[in-house]
Amino acid sequence: MTDTPMEEKRPLLSVRNLSVSYGAIQALKGASLDVYPGEIVAVIGANGAGKSTMMNAIMGDVKRGGGEISLDGKLLPARSFQVVSAGISLSPEGRKVFAPLTVMENLEIGAFPLKDKGEIKEQTRRVFNLFPRLEERRDQYAGTLSGGEQQMLAIGRALMARPRVLLLDEPSLGLAPIIITEIFKELAAINKTLGMTILIVEQNARKALLLSDRAYVLQTGVITIEGNSRDLLGDREIINAYLGGSEN
Amino acid sequence: MDTLFQQIINGLSIGSVYALIAVGYSLVYSILLFSNFAHGGFLVIGGYICYYILVMAHANIWVASAGALAGAGVSAVLVERFAYRPIRERTHVTLYMLIASMGMSIVIENLFVVTVGGRYKALPEVIPMTPVSVFGFATTSAFDILSLVTAVVFLVALQLFLSKTKWGLAIRAASYNLRVTGLMGVNVNRLIAIVFFVAGMLAAVGGIFLSARYTLFPQLGGITTKAFVAAVIGGLGSLPGAVVGSLILGLAEMLTTGFLSSQFRDLIVFFLLIATLIVRPSGLFGRSVGEKV
Repeated sequence: MTDTPMEEKRPLLSVRNLSVSYGAIQALKGASLDVYPGEIVAVIGANGAGKSTMMNAIMGDVKRGGGEISLDGKLLPARSFQVVSAGISLSPEGRKVFAPLTVMENLEIGAFPLKDKGEIKEQTRRVFNLFPRLEERRDQYAGTLSGGEQQMLAIGRALMARPRVLLLDEPSLGLAPIIITEIFKELAAINKTLGMTILIVEQNARKALLLSDRAYVLQTGVITIEGNSRDLLGDREIINAYLGGSEN
Repeated sequence: MDTLFQQIINGLSIGSVYALIAVGYSLVYSILLFSNFAHGGFLVIGGYICYYILVMAHANIWVASAGALAGAGVSAVLVERFAYRPIRERTHVTLYMLIASMGMSIVIENLFVVTVGGRYKALPEVIPMTPVSVFGFATTSAFDILSLVTAVVFLVALQLFLSKTKWGLAIRAASYNLRVTGLMGVNVNRLIAIVFFVAGMLAAVGGIFLSARYTLFPQLGGITTKAFVAAVIGGLGSLPGAVVGSLILGLAEMLTTGFLSSQFRDLIVFFLLIATLIVRPSGLFGRSVGEKV
């Protein structure tokens, strides 16, 4: 959120030359990016560019082929549960809330790595402050929530583990424009009030660029453009390829 | 009237033992989405451990049961660790695990044939078989009452574990989506090990009662077919379904035995299976999924 050059500080999350293959298909071909403390960084790109693969590789949910990922200078462990304990949480693509569990239980499972009951309570409080709607529906089954509420729950659930970096995979997917605006407003608030560092991948490039400080463009597995989001919003190439006439 | 009551109690008693087996079966299915055909093996392992502790160590039934439960639980964890996990980590196709489980079932059965022999063994009479009058209505054996009570105790304990503990919550989440549960910071391999341990333990309880009711032999695990049928009737992957399906099956078997002929006993089991598959393929409580094996 500041204009001082972030490059002087040490990145909190650093991805170096990451490659991932699904059989013969190479989804990521040596992608690199940095996320500095307190920043919102967006990765934009078309369908199949490798955005979700990047998120899943950071989480240890797909096998990383080559390259390395570090959090605060320390190499990230290989398996998902270790990554979460290390301090990275994901709100996955398509929300993936646990439909047969209640809102409260969804949040509890998000807090799985936390040991201290008081800490869990405190974190629940914070999430309810961010999303009062979730508190109203705390005993309702997650499957009965609206799409927007499910997205709030997915974000809240990811926050429960008290991550140092929050990853968001397509939070706008399948939501009405008015709901998307609301969700993105909340994300800005989470960044400001909690000082949360956020890495977001989005197909909705305009929204993502408006929200973020910096952005990367991912194209068929490689980073092709990077820069300040404000600059990219005015970039002719970006406008033609990703913002073409879209208002949302 | 007497026969009816008696057969209902017998039906509930045998049905509750099926339930112990079916619930473990369904629990594994709900997490890994394959039918673990080696489940019957855990039951046999439990039965033999109980038998040998009773016969060779002359211990009481409590010690023998504790040993059987722990032994079957650990065996289940080992089977998962060495037969299923290597497959799980390479592919998402659950059919391979199904085939591996058939293999493990044959391995376990024949391990007993080779080591202790295929002869029928009778458990020493550690569970009382004395006749008991139920509210003056009917007479049944203490054994039937005991197996019913034990099954209920274990099922309630399982329900409490699933609904009240942190790992229980994780297991319920995993039965909806295992992958996302891993993304929540849950060690998925540990979760699966816990599920197999619990399933193995429950199978051992069933194994002890079945070997006391009938006899103990390496193929006793074949009775899991009935628990499988019960789980399908109730809806594979659903725990309440497994319990209800088992009770229906136990009652159907015993009422058939009491009023028709014991020769129709197995016929009614498979009749119910086929009827379920035709009328309601997802079972009483099941979610609809494509594959059922």
